[in-house]
Amino acid sequence: MLLNRKQSGKRWHLRPDGAPKVTGQLQYLTDMTLPDMIHGRVLRSEYPYARILSIDTSEAEALEGVYAVLTSKDVPGLNRFGIATPDQPVFCEDIVRYVGDAIAAVAADSPERAALALDAIRVEYEELTPLNSTDAALAPGAPELHEHGPGNVLHRTEIKRGDAKQAFATCDHIVTETYYTPRQMHAYMETEGGLFVPDEEGRLNVYAATQHGYKDRMQLARIIGCPEEDIRVVSSPIGGSFGGKDELNVQPYGALLALRCGCPVKMHNSRKESVRAGLKRHPMKIEMQTGMSREGIIQAHRVRITADTGAYATLGAPVLNFCTEHCLGPYAIPNVDVEGVSVYTNNGLSGEFRGFGGNQAIFAMEGQMDRLAEIMNMDPWEFRRRNMREKNDPGPLNQRILVTDGLSQVWEALDRSELWQKHQHPPTDPTLPPWIKRGVGAAIAMHGAGLGYGIPDPAGGRLSLNNEGKIEVAFSYEEFGQGLVATLEIMLCDLFQCNTSDLSIIIGDTDRVPHSGSSTASRSTTMAWMALQRLQSPFRSHVLAVASEASGIPADELVTGPGGIWRKGQLPAESSEVETDVQGTGKSEKKVALALEGIIQTSEEAEKLEKAERIEAKAKEGERSDFVISYAELATQGEADEWIFDTKFDYPTTPDNVVGGHYLYTYAAVAAEVEVNTLTGETKLLDTRHVVAAGPVINPMGYIGQIEGGSVMALGFTLTEDAVMQDSRYVTTNLDTYMIPTIQDIHTQLEVEAIEDLPEGDAFGPRGIGEIGSVALAPAITAAIHQATGVWVNRLPVPREQLVRPLNVPLQEGVSPS
Amino acid sequence: MNKPLKNHWTAIVNGEHKHLEIAQTTRLVDVLRTHLQLTGTKVSCEVGRCGSCMVLMDGEPVNSCLVMAYQCEGSDIVTIEGLHGEEKGTLHPIQQAFVEEGGFQCGYCTPGMVISTKALLDAHPEPSQEQIESGLCGNLCRCTGYGGIIRAVRKAGERCAIKETSAEETVS
Ligand code: FES
Ligand code: FES
Repeated sequence: MLLNRKQSGKRWHLRPDGAPKVTGQLQYLTDMTLPDMIHGRVLRSEYPYARILSIDTSEAEALEGVYAVLTSKDVPGLNRFGIATPDQPVFCEDIVRYVGDAIAAVAADSPERAALALDAIRVEYEELTPLNSTDAALAPGAPELHEHGPGNVLHRTEIKRGDAKQAFATCDHIVTETYYTPRQMHAYMETEGGLFVPDEEGRLNVYAATQHGYKDRMQLARIIGCPEEDIRVVSSPIGGSFGGKDELNVQPYGALLALRCGCPVKMHNSRKESVRAGLKRHPMKIEMQTGMSREGIIQAHRVRITADTGAYATLGAPVLNFCTEHCLGPYAIPNVDVEGVSVYTNNGLSGEFRGFGGNQAIFAMEGQMDRLAEIMNMDPWEFRRRNMREKNDPGPLNQRILVTDGLSQVWEALDRSELWQKHQHPPTDPTLPPWIKRGVGAAIAMHGAGLGYGIPDPAGGRLSLNNEGKIEVAFSYEEFGQGLVATLEIMLCDLFQCNTSDLSIIIGDTDRVPHSGSSTASRSTTMAWMALQRLQSPFRSHVLAVASEASGIPADELVTGPGGIWRKGQLPAESSEVETDVQGTGKSEKKVALALEGIIQTSEEAEKLEKAERIEAKAKEGERSDFVISYAELATQGEADEWIFDTKFDYPTTPDNVVGGHYLYTYAAVAAEVEVNTLTGETKLLDTRHVVAAGPVINPMGYIGQIEGGSVMALGFTLTEDAVMQDSRYVTTNLDTYMIPTIQDIHTQLEVEAIEDLPEGDAFGPRGIGEIGSVALAPAITAAIHQATGVWVNRLPVPREQLVRPLNVPLQEGVSPS
Repeated sequence: MNKPLKNHWTAIVNGEHKHLEIAQTTRLVDVLRTHLQLTGTKVSCEVGRCGSCMVLMDGEPVNSCLVMAYQCEGSDIVTIEGLHGEEKGTLHPIQQAFVEEGGFQCGYCTPGMVISTKALLDAHPEPSQEQIESGLCGNLCRCTGYGGIIRAVRKAGERCAIKETSAEETVS
C-alpha cells in the first residue's frame, strides 16, 4: 500500500503531544528550571591522548559563587560507566583518551561563573602522540589504550562457511573493492542536559534524556554507590536521540554535583561540547571480495571489517556483531570468510546510531552486487533476485529465523515501481546542459530487530484501570520524537474500542513504569504490541466480570467501548476521537503523562471538567442506548491492585546459539534517482521510493515520518556528513561546518510503500521501523551515480572530486586554444 | 568578582511591555529563555545555523542566539508563545497544520520552524516550492526529513489564503 495521508483515512492519528510541541509549551528536560538551582559544567581534556600529571582545583574552589569542584577522588562508587562494558571514566584519573574525556566538574551560581571556574582549574599533562587511525592503533609497538589488551582490539568477529579460498579459485569473476564510511553525527537538535534534584527524603531525581531510564538508574547507582531505589530517572520527552543519548552523558556529573551541593543542578551542553564529547557512528573500512560463477551465481564472499571504535567500548562490540551479520546481505552464499575487528583509537567515541552497523555493511554489500551485475551485463535487480536467499533458508549466521515473504515482496514491489523502471531507459533530458547527468539505482536490505541472541533483551509492560477510571499502560520506553505515545494510543483504542480520552499512557519515569527494556533496535512497537496481546484478555475479563456483577448483565454480552462498558453490538459507530481532534484547538487534546507532572501544561481544570461532562453525556446516552457502566465507576469497585496486570517476557531470539543472531527481520528496497553536476561534482537526489515490509502499519503518520526522517538522515550519510578529525581533534565542531541536510537538499519526491503481510498466526505483530528507512539509501544513490557518470563510488560521503569531469565541448570557432 | 554591568532593557515581547535589568551583551535567546522563562524558543547550535531559536523581531525572523539585548532594545518581539489562533489558547493555522500533517517529531525544531513559516507566509501567502525552500533553509530538522513540514507549510498557506479571500469578500 502506498502510504500517505489519503490512503490512511481514519488511521491518520494526530499525536497527543502535537499541541504542546507546536505551541512551545512542552517543557523538555533541558528547559526545566528551579528557583534555587545552580549550574554545572564539565572540564574536558585538552588533548586527545595524554597523561595527567597533576590537577589543581584550589583556585577554582576559592572563586566566589562556586559551590563544588569534583574530580575522580570525589566519586563514591565506581568511577566508570558504559552500557555494555563500563570502561569510560566518570573523571579521568591518570590518562585522557579523547578530547571529550572528563577531568573535573564544577557547580556555580551562574553558567558564566561555572565557565570561569573551569578556566581556573590547572591541569598538567604530558602530551602523547594520539593513535589517530585504526592502522596506527594496530601497528606493532603501538601503545595500548586499555589494559586488557592484547593490542588495541576491542572485539573480533568471524563467520566462516565452506571453503572460500578454494571457491574463489573456481570463480569466473571476482570483484574486489574497499568501502569507507564516515563518522556520522547524530545531530539531535536538543543537546544533552537536564536537571538533577536531590529531595528531602534523600532521593535523587534525575531529569535527563536517555533511551532506557532503568539502565541509567543502575549505572548512576553504581557510580554514586547507593541503592537503585534511591534514584528516580525521568527521561522523556526528548528532543531527538537516534541512539546518541543511550549512553550516560551529563548524568554522572549532574548527579554527583547535586548530591554534593544538596541543591538542584542544571546541565545543558553547548553544541560544541556535545560534538566533542558525544557518540558518533563508527567509521568503517570494509574490504570485500566477491566471486561468482559464469552464470552469475555468487560462490564466495570474503570480508574484512575494520571499525574505529574510538576511546572507549560503549556498544562497539555489538555494533561490529551487527555489521558482520549484515555484510552478507539477504543472499545465499555457500562459501563465506568474514572477519571483523573493532579497534580502540583516540578518535572521539563511536557508539550506537540508528541502523547500528547495518548501514555500513549494506552500503558495501550492495555495492558489490552492482559491480558484479555489471560484469554479467545483467540488470542489477535481476542479478540480486538470482542470488537472494530462499524463503526457508537460514539467516545470515546460519541461524533459524522467522519465515516471511518480506524479501521477495519488497523485491517485487520495487521491480514494479515506475521509478525503478526508469533504470532500463536511463533518464535523459535534452533541455539539460551536457554536464548534468542523471541515473537511477536501487538496493535491498534485510535488517535485524531486537538486540540479538545472547544479549539480555527483557520486555514487559503494565495495563491497569487507574483510580481516575482511565485505562492506563506503563512501559519503560521513551518518547524521543518517534511517536511512540501516538502508536500506543492507536493500539489501545483498537484493542478496547475506547476513546483516547479513556487512556493514560505512562512512560519515561522509573518510579511509575515497570522494567520493560529499552527503546532501541526498532523494538518498542513490537514489544508494546506483544505485551498488550498478553495483557488484554486478563484485563478485559476482569473488567467485564466486574461490570457484569454491577449490572446483572452476563459478561459475554458486554464489551469495552468509549467511556466504559457497553452491550455487545451496541457500540456507537464512531468511537474514535481522531477526527474531532483535527479541529483540536488545544482544548480537546489529552494529557499524556510524560511522567513529569506539569510537563504538558494544558489546562488540567478544563480537562477535568470536560471529562465529567463526557461521562455524564455517556450516562445519558446510556439510558437510551446500551451504555452499561463507565470506567470511572468500575474503578471504584474492589481493591485498586485488582485492576493492575503485569507481564514480563523476552524479545524473541533465534533458538540457535549464535551470539547477536536475530530472529525477526524487516525488509526494505529503495530506488533513487539522482542528478550529478559533473562540473561541480554535486549530486542531487531527485526521487526515491522506499518499500518496507514490517507488518501491519499501526500509525501511518508515524510510519511515514520514520521512513522520511531515516531516509534524509541516510542522504546526509551518503552525500555530506562527516565529523572530520585531524590528529584526533574535531575539525567540524558545529552545525555550520558539519552538514546535515536542509530543506533545500532533500528529495522532494519520496514515496513510501508499506507491505503489511505477516505469516498467518504471526505472534510478533508489527515490526519496528525506526531504522529500516536509513539503511539502504546510500548504495541506491551510489548505484544511481554510477549510471549517471560511470564512476563507482566506494567512499562516503561521496567525494565530489571523483565526479568532476572536464567539459568536452568543442571550442568556439575563432577562439584559439592557446 | 565585579558584578557585571547592568542596564535597563525594554522591549515588547508577545505584546507585553517588558523591562529588565540585564547586561546589554546578553543574547536575546538568554533574555527569553532565562530571564523571561519563555522556553518555547529553543537553543541548539548558538551560531545562527539551526534556526531553533528563531523569533520575529519587528516582524522579521531572526536567530535569537545572534541578537544581543542592545540590538533589540525597544523592538517588538514575537516568540512561539506569542502565536495563536483568533483567540488566545487556540492554535494558529500554521500550528494547526503542523499537527495535522505530522510536521514534527521530537518537536525541538518546531517552534523555530513555525516562526519561520509565519515569516514566510506573511511575505508569500501562497509560497512556491522554491520560496518554501529558501524561507526554511535556515531551520534544521533532524527527525522529520522535512516531508511533513513541507506538507504542513503548504496546507497552512492554503488556509491562510482562503481566510484572506473570504475576508476580502466580506469587505467588498
Ligand atoms: S541556536 Fe540560534 S540558530 Fe541555532
Ligand atoms: S522534529 Fe526533531 S528536530 Fe525537527
